[in-house]
This record gives sequence, structure tokens and C-alpha cells, in this order.
Amino acid sequence: MVSVRTLTRRQISLFALVLALLLLYPLFVKGSFPMHVMIMVFLFAMMGVAWNIMGGYAGMFSFGQAAFFGIGAYTSSYLLMTYHLSPWLGLLAGGAFASLAAAAIGIPCSNLRGHYFAIASIAFAEIVRIHFNNWKLVGAAEGLTLPILDQSLKNFEFHSSKAPYYYILLGFLILSLLVCSWVSTSRMGFYFRAIKESHDLAKVVGINFVRYRLAAIMISAFLTAMAGTFYAQYILYLDPESVLILPISVQVVLVAMLGGSGSIMGPVIGAAILLPISEGTRVWLGPKGTGIDMIVYGTLIMLISAYRPQGVWGLLSRTDRRKA
Amino acid sequence: MMGSDVLQQVVNSFLIGSVYSLVAIGLTLIWGVMNIINFAHGDFLMLGMFIAFWLYTLVHLDPIFSIPICAAILFILGAAIYRFIVSKVMNGPLLAQLVVTFGVSIFLANLAVMLWTPDFRLIEKPLLSGTWSLGAVQLSIPKFAASLGSVLVSASVFLFLKKTKTGKAILAVEMNRDSALLMGINTDRINALSFGVGSALVGIAGAFLSMYYYIYPQVGGLFGLISFCIVALGGFGSIEGAFIAGILIGFVQTLGGYYFDPAYKYALVFLVYLITVWIRPQGLLGW
Amino acid sequence: MRNVTRRRFLIGGSALAVSMPSLVSEGFAAPPKAIKLGGLYPLTGNLASTGLDCKRGAELAVGIINGKYDLPLPLASTEGLPNLGGAKIEVIWADTKGEPKNGQAEAERVVTQDGVVGVIGAYQSSVTKTASQATERLRIPYVCSDSSSPTLTERGLKYFFRVSPHDGIFARDQFNFLKDLEKVKKQKVQNLALLYENTEFGSNVGKQENKYAQEYGYKVVADISYTANATDVTSEVGRLIKANPGVLMHASYITDAILFTKTFKEMGFNPKGMLTMAGYIEPGYLPAVKADGDYIIVRSTFALDLAKRKPLVAKVNDLFKKKYGTDMSENAARSFTAPFVFADAINRAKTTEPEAVVNALHDTNIPGDQVIYPWKGVKFDPQTNQNIYATGTLVQIQNQQYVTVWPFESAAKDVVWPFPAWKSRK
Repeated sequence: MVSVRTLTRRQISLFALVLALLLLYPLFVKGSFPMHVMIMVFLFAMMGVAWNIMGGYAGMFSFGQAAFFGIGAYTSSYLLMTYHLSPWLGLLAGGAFASLAAAAIGIPCSNLRGHYFAIASIAFAEIVRIHFNNWKLVGAAEGLTLPILDQSLKNFEFHSSKAPYYYILLGFLILSLLVCSWVSTSRMGFYFRAIKESHDLAKVVGINFVRYRLAAIMISAFLTAMAGTFYAQYILYLDPESVLILPISVQVVLVAMLGGSGSIMGPVIGAAILLPISEGTRVWLGPKGTGIDMIVYGTLIMLISAYRPQGVWGLLSRTDRRKA
Repeated sequence: MMGSDVLQQVVNSFLIGSVYSLVAIGLTLIWGVMNIINFAHGDFLMLGMFIAFWLYTLVHLDPIFSIPICAAILFILGAAIYRFIVSKVMNGPLLAQLVVTFGVSIFLANLAVMLWTPDFRLIEKPLLSGTWSLGAVQLSIPKFAASLGSVLVSASVFLFLKKTKTGKAILAVEMNRDSALLMGINTDRINALSFGVGSALVGIAGAFLSMYYYIYPQVGGLFGLISFCIVALGGFGSIEGAFIAGILIGFVQTLGGYYFDPAYKYALVFLVYLITVWIRPQGLLGW
Repeated sequence: MRNVTRRRFLIGGSALAVSMPSLVSEGFAAPPKAIKLGGLYPLTGNLASTGLDCKRGAELAVGIINGKYDLPLPLASTEGLPNLGGAKIEVIWADTKGEPKNGQAEAERVVTQDGVVGVIGAYQSSVTKTASQATERLRIPYVCSDSSSPTLTERGLKYFFRVSPHDGIFARDQFNFLKDLEKVKKQKVQNLALLYENTEFGSNVGKQENKYAQEYGYKVVADISYTANATDVTSEVGRLIKANPGVLMHASYITDAILFTKTFKEMGFNPKGMLTMAGYIEPGYLPAVKADGDYIIVRSTFALDLAKRKPLVAKVNDLFKKKYGTDMSENAARSFTAPFVFADAINRAKTTEPEAVVNALHDTNIPGDQVIYPWKGVKFDPQTNQNIYATGTLVQIQNQQYVTVWPFESAAKDVVWPFPAWKSRK
């Protein structure tokens, strides 16, 4: 297991360099597609970081993050369309609703372990998807088409350039990383590791583990819902098939695992590898229509989980393993 | 006295439920022995259906006779996937165990697209087709055959586990891997065997299903998802649990669709699962 | 707006480069630059089979525009676009996987990276929705001939045009058919059951059918929205049998169409007529169900037997068959028209400059004998940009063939009504 520790000076300067490059990226690329790919990287990195808080630290392997993503997207869009509520407030409302939903599912499921939790999370997300698909209030299967407003930070809509979306999402990602690092170094993070090592042990030593697990799920759901609101404002259209489906949940888990779960930066690295591959194979191989792009993708998942299950981060930080 | 429409729905519930059981039994075996969820289970089902389809189309072998061939091919495929992919994660992190079979699933479904195109196929005139009219109740012959197959397969797997030496070894590994190892059981061989047998069972299910259901590369998705619920509902590794849970899910889905709302019938299935594991986390017959 | 201005400047420049040779005369051999269109379809994933089918239709159309053919289709008799120095059309294909977010991303990519001057396709209405939103923002024209959600042309978009009929038109056709049946054939239908899958397509159709049922005075005895791609539909059919409707109206994609057909037969559901949409006319449906599909009526824009009245249909189908080895399906036939509409407009505009192309699209007036459907032609409503001449036909499956049965005046064969009970067949 990768241990969590404070960052070394070298790592901090490395992060600063990467951040500087990311800030400059929009100035150097032409066309919207490279921007779109980076936005997708950030979006899934953010959800991967959020997943990590429940999965990587608290040991709850959720395959149902799409539910929180969708609840976030739907809440802010519904409030915007019905009450003209600013998407920024909708973002908070979406996070709050997703956290409540997380609590509603987290309390009964907090006793479930490993596989049972994974299946329960899928079942939960499917129920949410089916319900939204039939719920007339939020457009049912037709989904919601957001109004096209003047572009401004206040309206959270930008039409002439993707750069503002890019910077906003980069900000969200950094926020998620800060939350994650706070969780991992706090007392809560310590308890999470104890819970992950052993349910029974954690119970014996008297940690109120239901409470901490619940906190982890709720934080994770809140951040995932923020990503959902971002998605809605970015695409300006959402329906159950685009925000609530299982492949989104799986993609989030893959991102976290590929990078190395249980490390703060892992999901970011995972997203930086996986998303360009999946977008790139679609663009180059998709038009042939043979499914070859997905074969490559599936093979990659098999090979990584079978032969490099510690993820890319595990490979990068050798020193880390020596210490652990 | 039940109205004939209700009786018809009860019969249908039982028929689809036993098909679910048949699909889920292989999964519960793998899950119970290795503590691994095979997310590619639905895709194994798809392969079984395609094998039956090609045998029918190319050499005119009826699905009822291609059952052993489907089982054999899937056995080899399952054992191979265990040997080269799954065995590598057996001692790895739990997350890698969860994710690896997703890779297998995506790979197989798209391999099928590449080999056979995404088109829809149907076996035109299987030996077992048509319906029997029993009074006002219509009984689909291929579905009925699938239910009989389901009962037979469950019973024989049950007896195999209880009565044969290999079966007992599988059960021993299922109960306690470490002690089984101490008792001199080659757990790796048992794993490969159970993965093979579990895959063979879903191959049988595929052959039965191919008699009346359409076949295409993504056909396994919902069947796979429902079988996870059935297995978890019945309890890990419990053959009789999976059988009962399958029938139960069949009733929930069909009667829910009939009396409540067809748009919500799968939501009801997942809801029943969630409520059950909330009350009894180990499933109906798990320990 | 900086990016847009720069991009438009570039496109304006390339348009100039394209139109230059034609001004200079044919003596200069420099071949004119190809006119690029973006073609968005679900080429992988669940709907790949449909997406590939649509792509073939559009591909054939582009081949006809670029080559010399003796066909009464716009620009068929010349190579390329004569007003642009014989410039050829080139389609940049993009895979949406059937996901709305990819619709947007791919539309933007083909416009900003490949420099396409127009976009066609998408098939699924939800994907067309995001893709056309993206082209609207980029001010690039979009001509769609394969998505059928009525909402697409109700959004007030300036750059989005639809050639084909939408589900509201199809739904109305079904009711007009029932009225005609009563008038001409003296077959009275008392009540209906509406059955539709619960994705965007089905629920929209359900809404429209409910509306028209009320308007035309039919009683709806069952209104069933069901889960698409179900493992089993016996409970849905059980409800239908209990409701005992005169006519069933079913909107589904192909998977459900196959399963429902089998279950109708298995459980002996025998209404007087079945009026269906989409899935029942996909190329995979009849090979899968064979004779069990007989007597089902499907809405369509196209049927091969139109050739009786329109020799063009047979000629186009021959070309299609030569190229792909199968008959042209309804999907391929629908996607076939968008490239012609585009090429015709660009040719008249004499430039690929978006505003000029949009203006030319507004002036589009393709006569009925130049389309492969039984329409009066192509002409867009100035407000909604929906083709005002787009109508549907109803085809019935008879002896495992789709034959046109309505409108009665263009019917190739008489409609078989009522639907023969399952037990009485063979």
C-alpha cells in the first residue's frame, strides 16, 4: 500500500512546473479539440480524485459515481431553467443533494464489504438512472436543453472559446486535490486507513466507522456533483444516457486505478493517460467502425490490472515503496 | 381462483426467473470460490449464444445439440482467461480484482463486433420452438426447455459439489482457502477448474437463450448486471441461493411490470436487491 | 469572438481559393480544392449497425455528386460542383459512439481542425442536438436527414436544417391512415394501445400519439412506456392483451422490435392492426424475425417498391447494391439526401462561405422527381428550417417484403386489414 506523507520539496517544484505548463496550455494549442481533450482529462481526474476519497482511502469501491455526477448536473440545470438560479449556486445545491443521496445510500450500505458494496453501488446508480429516465419534471428521457445565455463568468457559459471552461475546471481539480490531501492527512484520513486495513479492527478500537465512512461518501459525492454541474454548463444539454450510465462510473474507477489508487495524484495521472487514449482511438479508429478502438482499450485495462495493479503512480514513486 | 391473465404472468415469471438462475449459477460458482466478480459474465453468455448461432448457421446443428460444444468451448476460454489474466490478480489489490474483468468484458464485446459485425441475429427455426396452449395459458416451448435446463443444471452442479471429490475440494476452497491449502488441495487448479466450470455453465445458458432471444455483441449487458444482483442476493457461492434468487427476481420483474409500471421493472429488481442486502448483508442463503 | 473571426477569415479565404479557378477558366489545370463536409454517426457501440448503414447512404450520395451519372438527381450529371470549378465533396467521418458529448466534441473537431464547411448526420436525436448546438455557435450550416425528434427544429436554430419528416409528422400519418381506412375501406377502429420505449425517441412519439389520439377522437386503452433493451417483455404484452385494443401503435428500436414480435406471437396478441416505427424497418429486423414480421405496418420515408412509380429509386438501389451487396434500407435512404441538399446549396451559393450557404439553403427548391421519396420535393420552412414537403408513407410487410400501402393513391399493394391472427397463419 502506498503510504501518505507530506510532499518533498522536489515534488512541490515538479507540481509547480506542471501547473505552470497547464496554465499556459490554452495559449499554445489551436482548435477546440485539444482543449476538449484536456477538459475531459480534468473532468475525469476530478471525479477520480473524488472517488479516491471513498475508494482509495475509505476502501469503499463505488461503481456508481455516475449517480452523483448526474444528480449534480440535473440539480443545477433544473434550478437554472425553472428558477433562473445562477449555476454557481446550483453547483452548491447539486453538491448538497448528491451528499444527501450519498448519505441515504451510505447508511444502509455501510456494513457492506468489497464486492457487495460495489454491486450495491451499481444497483443504486441504476435505480437513479431509471428514475430520471422516467421523471417528467426533469424532462425524462428527453433530458434538459440549457438556455444559451450571454457568455460570462456569472452565467457560467462561454461560446467563443473553451479557455474559460478550461481554467474553471482546472480550479475545481485543484480544489479537489486540496480536499483530498486534507482528508488524507487529517485525523479522518488516519481512521480511513484503519478502516481499510480491517473492518473488525476498526470496530474493536472503537472508531465510529459508520460515521467516517459516511463523511467520505458525502465529500466524494459533493465533488463528483460539482463535476456534473460543470458538465451540464459545458455541453448545455443533458439526458440520462449522457450523465447517469454505468460506463461513466467504470471510467472513473479505471482512472483512479490506472494512476494508482490511494495516492493523491494517482487519478490525475490516470486521467492524463486514459482520456487521451480513449478520445484519440475514437478519432483515429472509430470511423472505421470495427470496434478496434475499444479492443485496444479493453486490452489495456486487462494488462494493467493483471500486471501493474499498483498503477502508474506506484511505478513512478519507487522511493515511496521503499519506505512503505 | 386466479384469473388466466394472472396465471399467465406467474408462469412467465417462473420462466424468465429460471433463465436468470441458469445464467447466474456459473457466476456464483466463480464468485464463491475465488471471491472475484466476473464482470465479463454477460459477455461469456454472448459468446455462448454466438457459438450456438454459428453452429446452427454453418453446420445446421440445432442449439439443443450444441449445448455440450458451447459448454466445452466456454470451459476452455474460462480456464484460459483465468490462467493468463485473472490468476495474476488473485493476490493483488482488491481493486485490480474488480477491474480486470471489466477489461475482459470490453475486449470480448468489441472483438465480437470486429469478427461478426454489430448486426442482430436470430436462430430461425430451432427444433424447440412455438407454444403450447394449456387452457388460456400460453407456454413458450423454448423458454420452458430453458427452465428445465436450469433446474437440471442447478441440481447437477449441486450434486457435483456435494458428492464428488473435486466438488468437495471446490467447496473446501470456497469455505476456507488457507485450510484447503493446508489439506493439500491445489487451490490454483481448483480456481482454474471453477472458472472453467462457471464459464461452461453460462455457455449452456447461452445455448438455451439462443433458441428464442436475439443475438448481438452487446446482448450480455443487462443479463450480466441482473446476475450480479441474483448472486449477491442468493449469497456468494450458494447454488441453491442463486436458483431461488433468480426465480424471485423473475417474479419481481414480471409482476412489477404487469401491476406497477414496465418502465420501472428493472429499478424494482435493483431495489429488492438493495433492501435485501441492507437487512441481510450476506444474502438470502449466504453465511 | 476572436477565434471565430480568425476561423471565418480562414474559411472565407479558402472559399475564395476554391472559387478562383472557375473564374480564371478551365485552361489552368490546378484541381479545385475539395469541399469538406463532416459526417457524424454512431460507428461503434450499441447502434453501430445503424450508424454504418446511414454512412453508406451518404457515401453513395457523395459518389454520385462527384462522379458522372445519368440520374435525375441534383448535380449527378456533372463531376463535382460546376459552379465551383468542379470541386468534389469530401466527407470527414467522425464516430460519436452515440454519446451526446461526443456529438459536440466531434462537430467542433471537424469544423475547427478539418475545416469542414457543413455537417450532416448524427442519427440519434440527442447527439444531433448537441452537435447542432456546437455548429450553431460556430456558425456552420448543418443539414440533417436522419434524426426524427420534433424538438430539433423547434429550437429556433439558424444554421440547422432538416430534410426528413419528424416523429410528429409520422405520428399524424398513422392517424390519417386510420381515418382513410374508415373512409375508404369502411374499417372502423374503436380504440388504441400506445406502446413506446422510454428513451428520447419513444417518449417523444408517445407524447405526439397521445396528442393526435385526442385530436382525432380515439380512445387510448393502454399507454405503456417500457424499458428499452429489455430481457423479457411478457409483462408488457400481458398488459396489452388485457387492454384488448383495436390497434397497437409501437415505437421501438430494433432489439425491442424483435423481442416484441416474438412475444406477440408467443402470447397470441391479435389486434386488428399494428402500426409501428423505426425498429421494424431496420435492415436487421426482417432477417431476424422472417415471416413473423408479416402484416405489421411501419412508417417509412422510403420503400423499394416506389420504383414502380419512380424509376430513379431502382437505379439508386442498383448502385447501392453493386457497392455494398445489399438492398438500400430506409436508414441509408434517409441519410442519402443530406449531401445533395448541401451540394445543391453550395453550388448555387458559388462559395462555401457559411452565411451564403445558409441563404442558399433557404432558397432550396429541389423538385419531387429529384428525390428518392414520394415527396413533392425539398423546400425549407423559413421559420423552423424543416422541409415542408417531407411526409411519411406507411409500408406493410407482406411475404417478408416492405410494400407501400398508404397513402392509398401511391400504394403498390392493397393493405391487409385486419391483422390475421397468429394461430390462423400457415
